[in-house]
Amino acid sequence: MKHETINASLECTKCKTETMHELVYAGRLLASTTCTVCKTKIMHESDDLRVAYVKDLEHRIKTKPFRLWRRFWRNPTKTFTEFPGKALKQPRKFWEEIKNLFN
Amino acid sequence: MERVAVVVLAAGSGSRFGQATNKIWLPLSGRRIISRSISNAAKSFKSCRLILVIHPDDESLAKEVLAREVPDLKVELVYGGQTRHGSEYQALMHLRKDIENNQLDVILIHDGARPLAKPALFKEIAETALSHGGAIPTIQVAPSEMDQEQEVSVVRVQTPQGFLAKELLSAYLKAEADSFTGTDTGACIEKYFPSIKTISVTADPTNVKITYPQDLVIAEHVLAKRGYRD
Repeated sequence: MKHETINASLECTKCKTETMHELVYAGRLLASTTCTVCKTKIMHESDDLRVAYVKDLEHRIKTKPFRLWRRFWRNPTKTFTEFPGKALKQPRKFWEEIKNLFN
Repeated sequence: MERVAVVVLAAGSGSRFGQATNKIWLPLSGRRIISRSISNAAKSFKSCRLILVIHPDDESLAKEVLAREVPDLKVELVYGGQTRHGSEYQALMHLRKDIENNQLDVILIHDGARPLAKPALFKEIAETALSHGGAIPTIQVAPSEMDQEQEVSVVRVQTPQGFLAKELLSAYLKAEADSFTGTDTGACIEKYFPSIKTISVTADPTNVKITYPQDLVIAEHVLAKRGYRD
């Protein structure tokens, strides 16, 4: 699963103050958050994350035609010219996500 | 109701910890928190003014996010102040001319970190504010949740909070002259227009304010349950 990390200031329940947190995303879902001060980590339980990921993936696939159509409707030239490149990247992107679900 | 402006507050800075992102720009099930807050506000009315109050450092990010995630909405950007009160004041100054020219009846102030406020809540707050002067969404706190017994009922206040435009502008102008800083919109109205009835509207418990890391997880679950609508 492709993990994206973002740092954000959120309130830590242990530090009782706003601290910097490291947020790790799995696709569109939040996989874990870690307080950079006290190291308190909140994790999405891995089996639960897989179930949630599959449901989310199902939603992404179902809504893709509509989202693509909407993008095309708003900006036909840009969508048309960018489409081949993006389409070619999709199988690899999904393969990486699915492969990492079982790692 | 056509003459409504929704002010979405998003001027908090995440930079006090170096490169930390302001939480309102975080992704939430595929879209930024702020995009969800704005689109829920927009869905509530046939037409309304949408004002997004941002930190000056976030301007280019805001433009990029709005263009990508809510391209159909016309959102006016305003720089916020040092405090929540200051940001509300800046937004009202931006709307001042239209309020004074009777172009706006009701102003709703919404916290950008509340991406799950349903369109129906915005509508109910606006309608109640128009007929009574002010409206705030509240949830009664159960006695078991409190450390000590209270003789009066205690409520949690959420946003959007709605008030008559002219009175709200007038209250903030008076507050500016007095150097008064209210904790929220209702506090400022209460100080300068005690005669205005601010009606409590039953809030939605799922309208969480993203504060703690676990709020993001809760919000993801709520959105999944709603089928990612609203």
